[in-house]
Amino acid sequence: MGIKKVGLNRNVEPQTLSEKVFFLDFMKGLKTTIKHLFRKVITVDFPFEVIEPAPRFRGVHGLRNVDGTERDDFDAWVKKLKIKPPEMGETRCIGCKFCQAACPVPEIFVIKTKKLDVPEDHPHHGLKVLDRFDMDLSKCMFCGLCTLACPTICIIHTDIYDLSTYTRRGWVLDKEMLSKIADDFIARRGKEKYDDKSNWPDWQKIWNDNDTARAKAWDNDPPQFGPNYIDQQ
Amino acid sequence: MSWVGLDKLNKLKERFDYVQINESDKGFHSVEVPKENFKDFLKFIKDNKDYQFKMFIDWTIIDHGAKADPRFQGVLILFSPEYKERIIVKTWATEETLPTLTDLWAGAKWAEREAWDMFGIRFEGHENLVRMFMWETYPYHPLRKDFPIQGYEEVELPSLNEEERADQLEGLQNYSRKHTALPTMQDLEITQKKRLPHKKSQIVLNWGPLHPGTHGTIWFLFDMEGEYVQQCDIIIGQLHRGVEKLAENLNVQQIIPYTDRMDYIASMNENHSVCIAAEKLLGIHEKIPPKAKYIRTMLAELSRINSHLLWLGTYALDLGALTMFLYTFREREKIMDIFEGISGARFTINYFRVGGVYADLPYGSLNAIEHFIKDFPTRLSDYETLLTRNRIWLKRNIGVGVITEEEVYSYGLTGAVARASGVPYDLRIIDKYDAYGEVKFDVPVGENGDAYDRYLVRIDEMKQSVRIIQQCIKELRKMSKNDPFFYQPEDKKMKITIDGRGTKLFKGEVYAGADNPRGELGVYIYMPKDGIKPYRFRLRSGAFYNLQIFPKLMIGRPIADAITILSTIDPVVGETDR
Ligand code: SF4
Ligand code: SF4
Repeated sequence: MGIKKVGLNRNVEPQTLSEKVFFLDFMKGLKTTIKHLFRKVITVDFPFEVIEPAPRFRGVHGLRNVDGTERDDFDAWVKKLKIKPPEMGETRCIGCKFCQAACPVPEIFVIKTKKLDVPEDHPHHGLKVLDRFDMDLSKCMFCGLCTLACPTICIIHTDIYDLSTYTRRGWVLDKEMLSKIADDFIARRGKEKYDDKSNWPDWQKIWNDNDTARAKAWDNDPPQFGPNYIDQQ
Repeated sequence: MSWVGLDKLNKLKERFDYVQINESDKGFHSVEVPKENFKDFLKFIKDNKDYQFKMFIDWTIIDHGAKADPRFQGVLILFSPEYKERIIVKTWATEETLPTLTDLWAGAKWAEREAWDMFGIRFEGHENLVRMFMWETYPYHPLRKDFPIQGYEEVELPSLNEEERADQLEGLQNYSRKHTALPTMQDLEITQKKRLPHKKSQIVLNWGPLHPGTHGTIWFLFDMEGEYVQQCDIIIGQLHRGVEKLAENLNVQQIIPYTDRMDYIASMNENHSVCIAAEKLLGIHEKIPPKAKYIRTMLAELSRINSHLLWLGTYALDLGALTMFLYTFREREKIMDIFEGISGARFTINYFRVGGVYADLPYGSLNAIEHFIKDFPTRLSDYETLLTRNRIWLKRNIGVGVITEEEVYSYGLTGAVARASGVPYDLRIIDKYDAYGEVKFDVPVGENGDAYDRYLVRIDEMKQSVRIIQQCIKELRKMSKNDPFFYQPEDKKMKITIDGRGTKLFKGEVYAGADNPRGELGVYIYMPKDGIKPYRFRLRSGAFYNLQIFPKLMIGRPIADAITILSTIDPVVGETDR
């Protein structure tokens, strides 16, 4: 570790006379630009060609439904919060509000549960279900803290990035909409992102390596992926 | 650690009996001096050859709440380039005044204006104590503890949507028709007049706030005689969002996404500063798992390359070399792809956490980074062929905006701006945070301190970053996939979580930071007791203090040099305004 002096005459030669007279500095510059003239196009022709966001991309939120890939402690959480055990296809959300607690802007969320209105001898007597789950994405900064806090991997980020709407109302997503977004995302790309243990399985790729649009941005020479660590497959 | 030792402080106490030492178990000792003796004490430690605290770092205020008496405390942070040590000197601002330090350190000028703006402290003897960020007729001092976080909503500002479409939302998600105070044209005119109270020549040229050459919303005033600038001032604050105020109401992990929005070009590095400061306050910085350390070092350097590429592209573009802009942005695209894959966002990254990083690297990350690093040096030499010895480039840069070593100390300049003037001030070697102690790299320093040297220093920094990244990859390759990437506290009292809920800070104070592409982003945290929310969270912005020397450099220069000087100082408005 040391100190390296830089400066004209230190690591840069001043211009020589021949360079000055024959404009060699400009020639060299032009050579570089002409070299680039014969390279392939690297820009992506959006919207006809779209780069697929990375699996970890933090886009519009979704609320996942029960699909048999819950973590082992899911039932324990459901019991703890006195939620009606969800069936296949019902939301995973247990109304614990951890996401709201972790969020720097808690006003984004409106989360409410309600008691089930069933007779006393019904097995679900005294249990609750999720009633409302609204998110106002106009205030969201897509930091991802809510998804890290969720004990059931219910609230997730999807790869949707275009959120423009004509009114502010359009940014407020309710639980049906959020579930639909998540279902759609899981069907499309769930296999790239999740296994039944965590958000971060070690095979999760940095991005989809057969995406031709992204390859273009990498000068048509995209990196070949391999394991990071010594004991990774 | 680069902090003044107790032995030196005790010697000071022997000499001046009014000095009071606040010891800290983490080693961040501070001294308290009465207001009457403050200036004498500072003169002594600045000039005495055993101390030589001649570099200005930061000068700010703590508000102890409306009930405390005295209520405000001044906090001065200094650095001794000779002994590589920092010191904190505090004094109480009785009657809401403090003596000005502008005669000792020129850098105090803006710091004092900021303190007046945010806390309403008057500095006796300051040459022109006007507001820093807010407009001149703004009635409040927002960082005072009794100012509510949402502000005073007193201006009617209905939105078009609500008017035309009756698009009312309910409850908390509703939008209030009331807005906090807004400046009118008249207010801005008053502000502008106050900034240049004595016009020297015929024309005052307004440059910005919305001009592509200003790289953000900075408003320059040039008092011009023909083509030459006689007097210059800068109005900033258009992007002021009060990050410090927001931070006082959040836990420390939640602050990190806000820092993304400060220096948005190098958000990785901004996150890094907050993590390091909080870890040092908790006393766990040394215990962070090595995997997290190497990942953070590697990505911080990648982010430095990213930031310098943007700087190079826009700088060359401003001086008329359009091709450079296209070339550097192509390379940036790849870096941002890597960031997107690893952290989930291209720009507002929020990947580092106090205690490590939030997730391990995804499959193929190291390959992608290696791929980029292999290719990058040839690209860099392309850039150099285009610029470094080009006669236009030389003519426009050499001898422009010369900063001397003394000015570096007195203005508190950091980053490449300081290093180009021959001051090897680099937190990476002074503090050796994260894995910087274990990797080999050189610190490039310039000789003349002109725009050309700043250019060469930044170019060389990119080469050094490549070296650092290579070494980090080599180390990471040796690790196991099961190695932890997040610190698990052994101490029962400590709680650190990845999502931030319940993350606690300990009583004490700390000043620490990281060497960012735009200078030192220091974080000063003051905690009177254990708690979740930081009581005072000061962000010492490198870009802010670096920009301060701009008016000085412009005096006597033609207006065309404004572009060169501004570009090589390279401020980013998100960070100057915070
Ligand atoms: S992404 Fe961040 S800001 Fe948005 S809802 Fe989640 S925690 Fe809140
Ligand atoms: S943290 Fe998850 S389970 Fe809890 S309320 Fe939020 S989305 Fe529902």
